[in-house]
Amino acid sequence: MNAAAWTCLLLPLASTVLITVLGGAISRRTAGWISTLSSGAAFAAAVVVFVEMLSRSPEDRSETSTAYNWLVAGNFKVGFSILTDPLSVFMMLIVTGVGSLIVAYSLGYMDGDDEERRYFAYMSLFVFSMLLLVQGGNLLFLLIGWGLVGLSSYLLIGFWHERPSAVAAAKKAFIMNAVGDATMALAFFLLIQKTGSLDFEVVFAKAGGLSQTVLVLVALGLLGGAVAKSAQLPLQTWLPDAMEGPTPVSALIHAATMVTAGVYLIVRTHPLFELAPNVQDTAAVLGTLTLLIAGLIALVQTDIKRVIAYSTMSQIGYMFLGAGIGAYANAMFLLMAHAFFKALLFLGAGIVIHALGGEQDIRKMGGLRKLMPKTWWAMLVGGLALAGMPPLSGFFAKDSIIAATLGREDWFGYVLFAAAIAGTFLTGLYTFRMLFVVFGGEQSAYVREHPPHAARDRLVEWSMGLTVAVLAVLAAFGGWIQFANVWTPITDWLRPVAEPLVEATGGQEAIASICAVAFGLAGIGVAWWIYSARRAAAPRAWAVLEHKFYFDELYNGLFYWPAVALSRVLDWTVEGPIVNGSIVGVADLTRRAGGWFRELQTGLVRVYAFALAAGLAVLILVFIAVR
Amino acid sequence: MIVASAGNVLVWAVWVAAAFACLGSGVAVISFSNPFYSALALIGNLGSLAVLYLLLSAEFVAAAQVLVYAGAVMVMFLFVIAYLGGKADTPWTGQLPAQTIAAIVASAALLVEIVIVIAGQADGHLSKAAEITDAFGSPSQIGQLFLTDQLLAFELISVVLLVAAVGGVILGSHSREQSPVETDDARA
Amino acid sequence: MLGPDTAAYLIVAAFLFTTGALGVLIRRNPLIVLLSLEIMLNGANLALIAFSRHFANGDGQIFALAVMAVAASEVVVGLGLIVAMARKNLALDVDKFSSLRG
Repeated sequence: MNAAAWTCLLLPLASTVLITVLGGAISRRTAGWISTLSSGAAFAAAVVVFVEMLSRSPEDRSETSTAYNWLVAGNFKVGFSILTDPLSVFMMLIVTGVGSLIVAYSLGYMDGDDEERRYFAYMSLFVFSMLLLVQGGNLLFLLIGWGLVGLSSYLLIGFWHERPSAVAAAKKAFIMNAVGDATMALAFFLLIQKTGSLDFEVVFAKAGGLSQTVLVLVALGLLGGAVAKSAQLPLQTWLPDAMEGPTPVSALIHAATMVTAGVYLIVRTHPLFELAPNVQDTAAVLGTLTLLIAGLIALVQTDIKRVIAYSTMSQIGYMFLGAGIGAYANAMFLLMAHAFFKALLFLGAGIVIHALGGEQDIRKMGGLRKLMPKTWWAMLVGGLALAGMPPLSGFFAKDSIIAATLGREDWFGYVLFAAAIAGTFLTGLYTFRMLFVVFGGEQSAYVREHPPHAARDRLVEWSMGLTVAVLAVLAAFGGWIQFANVWTPITDWLRPVAEPLVEATGGQEAIASICAVAFGLAGIGVAWWIYSARRAAAPRAWAVLEHKFYFDELYNGLFYWPAVALSRVLDWTVEGPIVNGSIVGVADLTRRAGGWFRELQTGLVRVYAFALAAGLAVLILVFIAVR
Repeated sequence: MIVASAGNVLVWAVWVAAAFACLGSGVAVISFSNPFYSALALIGNLGSLAVLYLLLSAEFVAAAQVLVYAGAVMVMFLFVIAYLGGKADTPWTGQLPAQTIAAIVASAALLVEIVIVIAGQADGHLSKAAEITDAFGSPSQIGQLFLTDQLLAFELISVVLLVAAVGGVILGSHSREQSPVETDDARA
Repeated sequence: MLGPDTAAYLIVAAFLFTTGALGVLIRRNPLIVLLSLEIMLNGANLALIAFSRHFANGDGQIFALAVMAVAASEVVVGLGLIVAMARKNLALDVDKFSSLRG
């Protein structure tokens, strides 16, 4: 099992190195195939691990394998180790499975791009980093994977680096993630100081003995990292901008895997969160607020990818809600289902964008249903799954979380329940607004002038079509793995690692499902009323929503302008007089002194003779005085 | 210092005359604007110096001074001055430039310092002059010194004179075509 | 010794020396500079002769003769230079030769 786990981790890394080293010696398509096949092989290895694990008894499913001692500092040791347990295998399967599908899709989507090799090298780097994150055997390697996925995200968002907007978005993503990285690092410092180790078992065992202050600080630090990585309030502003990257990147990194790392972190370190329940409740509150706010903002977005991005933000809010109230397995279930249907939506949107020659504004689209029927069906499946319609995957996954809020049976849970139900209404509304505007109605003028063109060659057509089809099947049937209280393989699988804190009763499940589906249908209905049947005019978008609740402006004022002002002041006081003055000033002074001395060389004999005479006079004076 | 006696008075009178002539001609050399007059003043200077040498019992040197210095060297000077002629700069007219004033100050300082040292009897070494014989400063004594104790100096002097002669010939020859030398616009 | 003391001669020598030095520093015509140089040399000669008399040592006079010979040689070369300058139609002004200016 360990061998397979290591293989799974290292195959994508080998692919990155290979593509980088071979450079221009291989064709662009070959680079794509290397990346795709390595991801596929990693998936196969993950399946092997899974099968092996199934054959063992539930108590025996956790194994840590250390390659070597990576860091030894006195009593503090950190080894390069990977942890193979039900939770990490769950994530490995999702990452490599959905990942290899998306990399295969990129074969077609990025075909013809000049920098294709760089793209596939980065994608393999990302897969490796994400695997390192989920397989990391101790908190330090989790953090290393965490940082590396941030790096891969930066590299891939700014992939088309000639575009200033892409570069700015990449920087924004990286810097906001760095804030999260910093809080996590601070939490880890505390852990090292108080427990002397970063290994999971040691930390969780000793955590009970720590003071409440320390626990709250550690949990807050971890939450900060999770919030940054998963684009939740208040560190959510980078995710919409990250749509500057290519569409497969948005699908893989900013929908299926990286942004879910925050949820994974909370589930993995849930013993620490359970010891600081206020922080865990804060996580739930943040998730709830995010799901509402993101849902509202998605109502007014005009870029197809931004709608889906805000939808991602909203759905991760549901996952945070689940993890925050202790329904860990439900949150992971939604993570899996969300990976399927969100990747499906993104890749389908990618097909639309590709076909329309790069256009992303939904106001310019319309009536694509007749022109691209297969894409329409795939997106419909994805949209229905997202809105939580039975019997698709979203229904099972989301409703389990909503039911868990009822399972808490206290006022906090009921408030969260109400918010979550409101969220389902919003989800249905914005999803089908997008679908009806893009695919429904008449063909817009733009579409008539730029009819969707056929794929360039068979490979492109097959790579994009087949992967989307597979994801559609997964989005449709992937939810049938767990159903309410009746059949719970996922909860049972994860029980050794993350025992749920709440379990909803059958009745609560029923209430939750009925309400969710009802409100979801209501949202779809309103969308149909306004955008499809055109029975009512679309209301004007509120400025608050259009400006995304002014978060960007707020951060601009809070951080950017003060930093600029401070740097101006420092430039004026420190850079000018002190740095320039000392370094440049020394050089300047030397030059000027040289100039002065140069003046002494007049070239006139009389002056030199005078110097002699004057020197002589002084010397004699000295001799007279001394004697 | 002052010892009054008849021979003494004569010596004193001659000394005063020669000394003042010496000093006056010296100042004249550096003051005239016409080089010819400066050369003539220098000849006067050399003559008065010869008198002073006589007072110091250096007869041979005095004779050599008149013969060689005043007679040969100065004549050569006069030849060249007559050949080149021209008017020299006028040192004492108009506003004295800063460099001139500085030069005057430096020279005055030098003079003052040397006078102080001499007046302070140079650590007592200048207290009393030694007694001399009649043969002191005579050609025979000079000749003896040149050919015995100071033979090396004698030979070296002849070498120096030879080198100077050769150099003079080379400098004066027309044979080589030399590129014109550039002069810079010097500061005044 | 009859007449003034050695010190008096030395003071005259000092005057001559500084007068010559002043001339070298002030004048611009190279001929006059050479003449001033001669005055300085003569001042030194006078000092030598005075000391020779003071210590009753003939070596001073030998030295003075050597100085005279060297002065003569120097005048030869110096005048040769000046004539060469004049032949090239250069201005006879030491201030004009400042190509060593830094």
